[in-house]
Amino acid sequence: MIRFENVGMRYGPGPEVLRDVTFQLEPGTFTFLTGPSGAGKSTLLKLMFLAEPPSRGLITLFGTDLATARRSAFPALRRRIGVVFQDFRLLSHLSAFDNVALPLRLAGRKSDDYTRDVEELLNWVGLGDRMNARPPTLSGGEQQRVAIARAVVGQPDLLLADEPTGNVDPEIAQRLIRLFGELNRLGTTVLIATHDRSLIERSRSREMRLVDGRLVELRRG
Amino acid sequence: MSGKKRERGRILPREKGAAPLDVVIGVMAFLAALALGASMLADRQAEGWRQGLAGRLTVQVLQPEHSTRTRNMETETQAAIDILRGTPGILAITPMSDADAAKLIEPWIGADALVKDLPLPRLIDATIAPGARVDFATLEARLKTVAPDSNVDDHTRWIARLQSLADTIIYAAYAILALIAVATAAAVSFATRAGLEAHHDIVALLHQMGAHSGFIARAFEWHYLISTLAASAAGAGFAAVTFLALGGLEFAGVEAVPFLPPLGLNTQELVWLFAVPVVSGLIAWATARLSVLAALREIY
Repeated sequence: MIRFENVGMRYGPGPEVLRDVTFQLEPGTFTFLTGPSGAGKSTLLKLMFLAEPPSRGLITLFGTDLATARRSAFPALRRRIGVVFQDFRLLSHLSAFDNVALPLRLAGRKSDDYTRDVEELLNWVGLGDRMNARPPTLSGGEQQRVAIARAVVGQPDLLLADEPTGNVDPEIAQRLIRLFGELNRLGTTVLIATHDRSLIERSRSREMRLVDGRLVELRRG
Repeated sequence: MSGKKRERGRILPREKGAAPLDVVIGVMAFLAALALGASMLADRQAEGWRQGLAGRLTVQVLQPEHSTRTRNMETETQAAIDILRGTPGILAITPMSDADAAKLIEPWIGADALVKDLPLPRLIDATIAPGARVDFATLEARLKTVAPDSNVDDHTRWIARLQSLADTIIYAAYAILALIAVATAAAVSFATRAGLEAHHDIVALLHQMGAHSGFIARAFEWHYLISTLAASAAGAGFAAVTFLALGGLEFAGVEAVPFLPPLGLNTQELVWLFAVPVVSGLIAWATARLSVLAALREIY
């Protein structure tokens, strides 16, 4: 599914944020990525969802070597990945419904075809009565749930989430983790970057920890 | 609520109010439509001149320096008329009287008694049958055998000069249209880049979510196509109203611009002015698309 080999990353002439990162995510696995702030979690996620090219090393995604792949192949790879951004990155001029439907639109699906799915998902994350609200009128927790719904609506092959439960109360957090688990059971490979120890303790999933840009395997799931 | 048909939100937010770009495009479309109208007027005028003068020739018989019984203007004129009558392709012959000739020069030197003392030439107006070819050199040579001081004017010199005047106006109008097209493309390219900058978060997100460059470009090209169509249609509309007003003034007997031929456009020509918004829209569409695609190629 994903393979990193001796991957290093630096921004401009600065120091390396990631050093010799080597790991593999097998299809259908559930993994937590932990580490202190500034350890490089977000950078590692960016490399995984093709936001940045690595400074060195090899990344293989869905069997495609990114170093040799044509750039025209990237959009199709990106559409197989659902991302929950730490800052949500919702489009403020679109309703919650349209934000969630965006990946399906990009996949070329017609609105008649996906309206029911999107509405069901919004109901599931507790936003059934906020479908037509625009992000600026939603609370932080509500925005986070819209961002999560958008990431999972297309049942991606890989789900990457950066602190997905940071703004919600413990009850909603558990509900969202159950949603990720449900998706994982349906075959999606899930990787969640989080500080929330309670989430990790409750799960017996694999945990990878980043310390000073280096990856340490803490627990195999 | 469930399953109900929903209106899909626009990928790019709607701009509020007329952007400065719309004003620029509108003004340029107005100027482009004026240039296009001018080229059509020049073309029409040249055609009028051609039709008025082509197919006609004028024979001028000058008074011999020393008239004799055999060499005088009357007999020479009559001989010239006979030769014209016998020339294939000549349809009608109208000899002009002294009074007609005096009338022609009246605007320049008046109608005083002095005119009568001037050695005015005899003019013979001849109409050539449509499609007939008359060899002017041979005709002139034959005329010179009976009237040595005669010459043939087939008006080609005038037609050529008027045509070259009309051509100059038409080519100048085309050059102006080309410059305006370049300026429109530059303005839209600039605006698209500014738009990409302003909507960078949306573009980056769509790109990140796996949108094809074409999908993102479409959102921009539609935006600029529609706004350019609207703004340039307004500009071309103003130009059409301007030509209608000039035509109206001429109809009312007011000379809009001294020395210039009529400036009113007919309905068909007015419709052609609306090629300006169509072409502007296409330029904006293509420019926006190319600008967005170029900008997206720079993102990983």
